[in-house]
Amino acid sequence: MSDNSHTYVNQFAAQQSLLVERLQFLLATLQSDLRADVVRALGAEGKLLSLQRERDSSTQSSQIVGSWPLLTFLVAQSIAPEIDLVYASSVAVAIEYFICALDLLDDVEDDDQTPIVQTLGIARTLNVSTTLLMLAQQALLSLSQYHIPPERILLLLDTLQACALAAATGQHRDILAEQQPVQDFTENDCIEIARGKAGSLMRVAFLLGAICAGADERTREQFSALGELLGIAHQLDNDAHDLYYLLQDYPSNETLTGTDTIIPGVKTDLIRGKKTLPVVLAAHREDALQGNALPADEQKQVHQRALQDGIITTWGIFLLYHERARDSLQEIGAYVSVSPLLRLLLDL
Amino acid sequence: MEEQQIRDFVYRVSNDEKLRKELTNSPDDVLRHESFSPRVAEIVRRLIPHLAFDTALATPLNWWAHGYTH
Repeated sequence: MSDNSHTYVNQFAAQQSLLVERLQFLLATLQSDLRADVVRALGAEGKLLSLQRERDSSTQSSQIVGSWPLLTFLVAQSIAPEIDLVYASSVAVAIEYFICALDLLDDVEDDDQTPIVQTLGIARTLNVSTTLLMLAQQALLSLSQYHIPPERILLLLDTLQACALAAATGQHRDILAEQQPVQDFTENDCIEIARGKAGSLMRVAFLLGAICAGADERTREQFSALGELLGIAHQLDNDAHDLYYLLQDYPSNETLTGTDTIIPGVKTDLIRGKKTLPVVLAAHREDALQGNALPADEQKQVHQRALQDGIITTWGIFLLYHERARDSLQEIGAYVSVSPLLRLLLDL
Repeated sequence: MEEQQIRDFVYRVSNDEKLRKELTNSPDDVLRHESFSPRVAEIVRRLIPHLAFDTALATPLNWWAHGYTH
């Protein structure tokens, strides 16, 4: 590891500790039983309160702990290097609460038996999610104690609500899509679902950082666009990899996009019939290749090829969005001094 | 539309054995004959090793992994 990398790691550690401190301060008023469950949720892998466990662990995760609030915090610091740290960390922590709340809802909506759902059960998981949504708002409302202008607090709250509604809309489309035939979906539908779900969340993480730093409208729009591009990119990357890993282990004498086959170990999204881009592309591709009725063995080959083409095409479109995000960051860099830490976090 | 260029190229390669051979032997020549923007050309260049589906995709960029994207 280079000297520079050491510096980056140390600087992330300092920011992470600051965010953990602020997060715990805002949790202090919760009743003890509720607080214990909220702390469990915020201690899941990759979340801020897993920091100590991660530091104690002999094996380091590839995921940066608290990357969501770090993103908000580092955007604010890039725009306003002298920003008050308690102020910026309160806004960043609101993002951690918000993302954690939606994570829990997503687990329940997808019937995912994640460790936190297994520990808490559905009722407590939902109540912890509600609590976290309230805490996100409370973290922003607490800014009035630091003499932040009410207009700015209102704009932060308004932005959080707007992005939450957009994410919920994307999530709802995604849930409804499970019951609809794959042939009804276009490539564009899949991108729009990704924009609504992942794009909105990444957008709000960037936007709250920009707003809290007092960025002008143009800068806010630029960061918003960057967040949306990155959110879509990561959604497509994950969708391509989910299907790719599945195909590596998948018996070639089965069909995947049909609804009658359940494969052990398959990610829940795929079992549930989510209309991700590689699945939709593969289905359309298979229809195009099939044409006339083929013998069974040729059908399987066509099916396999359609899946492979869907995965590679999706990964290519991911790379396209990643490049667009890189261009967007370059445009921002022309008038905002983007910190090395933020560049490191974004990996663009 | 850049998305469509990527999709069409992947499909053509998948269907055309001659094109696959040309890509293996002289990818630059193939890319030169396509009317790709520099950005799409660069992306297609990165896709070429994966088009035969015998080279693993790069590890996903999951630093911000979230339930909505999984």
